[in-house]
Amino acid sequence: MHLLGKKGIIIIGLLPALLFYILFAIYPIIQSFYYSFMQWDGFSEMTFVGLDNFKELFQDSLFWNSVKNNIYVVIASVLGQIPIALLIALLLNRKLKGVRFFRTIGFLPVVLSTVVISLTWSLMYNSKNGMINQLLQSIGLRELAQNWLGDPQWAMIAVLVTVIWQFVGLYLIIFLAALQNVPDEVIEAAKMDGASEWATTWKITIPMIWDTIIVAIILCISGSLKTFDLIYVMTNGGPSHSTDVMALYMFQETFSQLNYGYGSAVSVFIFFFSLILIFIVTKVLGKKMI
Amino acid sequence: MELLNRSKLKLYPRRSIKKTSIYLILFLFALVNAYPILWMMINSFKSEQEFLTNQLGFPHTFVLENYVNAWETANLGVLFGNSIFICITATLITVLFGALASFFLARFTFKMSKLVYTFFIFGMLIPIHATLVPMFILMRDLGLLDTPITLLFPYIAFHLPITIFLLTSFMKAFPKDIEESAIMDGCGVFRIFWSIILPMSRPALATVVILNFIYNWNEFSFALVLINDPAFQTLPLGLASFAGQFTTNYGAQMAGLTMSLIPIVVFYLFLEKEIVKGMTAGAVKG
Repeated sequence: MHLLGKKGIIIIGLLPALLFYILFAIYPIIQSFYYSFMQWDGFSEMTFVGLDNFKELFQDSLFWNSVKNNIYVVIASVLGQIPIALLIALLLNRKLKGVRFFRTIGFLPVVLSTVVISLTWSLMYNSKNGMINQLLQSIGLRELAQNWLGDPQWAMIAVLVTVIWQFVGLYLIIFLAALQNVPDEVIEAAKMDGASEWATTWKITIPMIWDTIIVAIILCISGSLKTFDLIYVMTNGGPSHSTDVMALYMFQETFSQLNYGYGSAVSVFIFFFSLILIFIVTKVLGKKMI
Repeated sequence: MELLNRSKLKLYPRRSIKKTSIYLILFLFALVNAYPILWMMINSFKSEQEFLTNQLGFPHTFVLENYVNAWETANLGVLFGNSIFICITATLITVLFGALASFFLARFTFKMSKLVYTFFIFGMLIPIHATLVPMFILMRDLGLLDTPITLLFPYIAFHLPITIFLLTSFMKAFPKDIEESAIMDGCGVFRIFWSIILPMSRPALATVVILNFIYNWNEFSFALVLINDPAFQTLPLGLASFAGQFTTNYGAQMAGLTMSLIPIVVFYLFLEKEIVKGMTAGAVKG
């Protein structure tokens, strides 16, 4: 073809996207591997320290605390978002009036920016005049009022409620779409045979959308590993590290403590931790699926 | 007939109890979902005093002062301008470059095609915050911290994978002979891309444009790390630092949040179908 030939044209077509992608997505990852072997304050000379950063990391109780909190976020998301979304989707799938309304409201939080959500919930959790304490007071349960985000005992729970709230809608929509593909005849036939609704749901509907549930769980896990913005804005990891997650820990080590090498080691850990966890979950659940 | 009527009578109350409880659950869900947002919007119109005494009800008098305050102290005009600029530019470039790459990946057979495609798709697995530190260093070394175009680079790079994924699978479905007849008519490759493939991909393009737009509009982590200068902050970053500085000025905070919500909520209510489609596709495949 033409002047450039086919190869040339293909290269020209792929180049802009590849260039951006390699330079600003792949290269930083590789760089973080490199920095993770260095001791570096970000400005002066780097010194090579081998695996020292990782050794230090694995002995750092604050780091393990953040890993633990990260796992809480994953568990809470899977056990909170998926069942609630599934329940609501099953209820909405009964061809009721107003399905559209509930869908619209249900998905709304997913569209909003995490920062707006975090700030709104922070205001609601406010110990002095937040909505939640005011509500408790007005229904005569003043004793239950807490300093939600300021009390190490409650902060993580409060944050997790917001995390769950934010993404239920996403899985709701995914489940609704899957339920619409379950043929009516199958359900009708089961009912004709005298199966109760409960049995039909458990024995027919849920197995038929099982694949989608698995996908949703995987999504939920990989999504909740990304939690950073929400906690950064709501508590910044506090009080006394009770809501610290890996990304926050990395952020503080790097930009507040100016430990670029150490922060990069955390980055590398997050990178592999996420990939490996997703890989394991896909494998484990994938096998059960068939 | 008699029997039928009777069974209906018997069934009716049970059915209606069931139906009522279902609606009850659904309304509870809707309430929990919408109330935080509504609460914030309603309270943004209350004076400080009223907020402290009457938080759960409607405002007795609508106070617009909060909005004036928020607009001035949070520099919302600048934040909106920056967000709109970054969002539109990054989305356009991502979709243009992504579509071009997808065109070659979907419509041409060449040796590296599968490899290049997989390489792009891998990007969907990269946990973004694992790149914050090296991204900061890279941008600093390039002298690109704190500029009006800083955020374009990470936004484009990290949204190319999902864009290419969605567009490639869409373009692959076109019949084979499109290009052949176009080439017979003497069209160049880029002409085919621009005047045949792009218009045909309109539905998928709409999806990726919306997806990119929402992701870019809401993005926070890169902005937090790469932008310091208030003149270049985007809305999420500006709102977060505003809330950090004026912790007790609840009215203005809520007014600022409400203003930043309105465009995206309106956008959502008008384009709900497309947005839901885009975001679920983005999630399921991402």
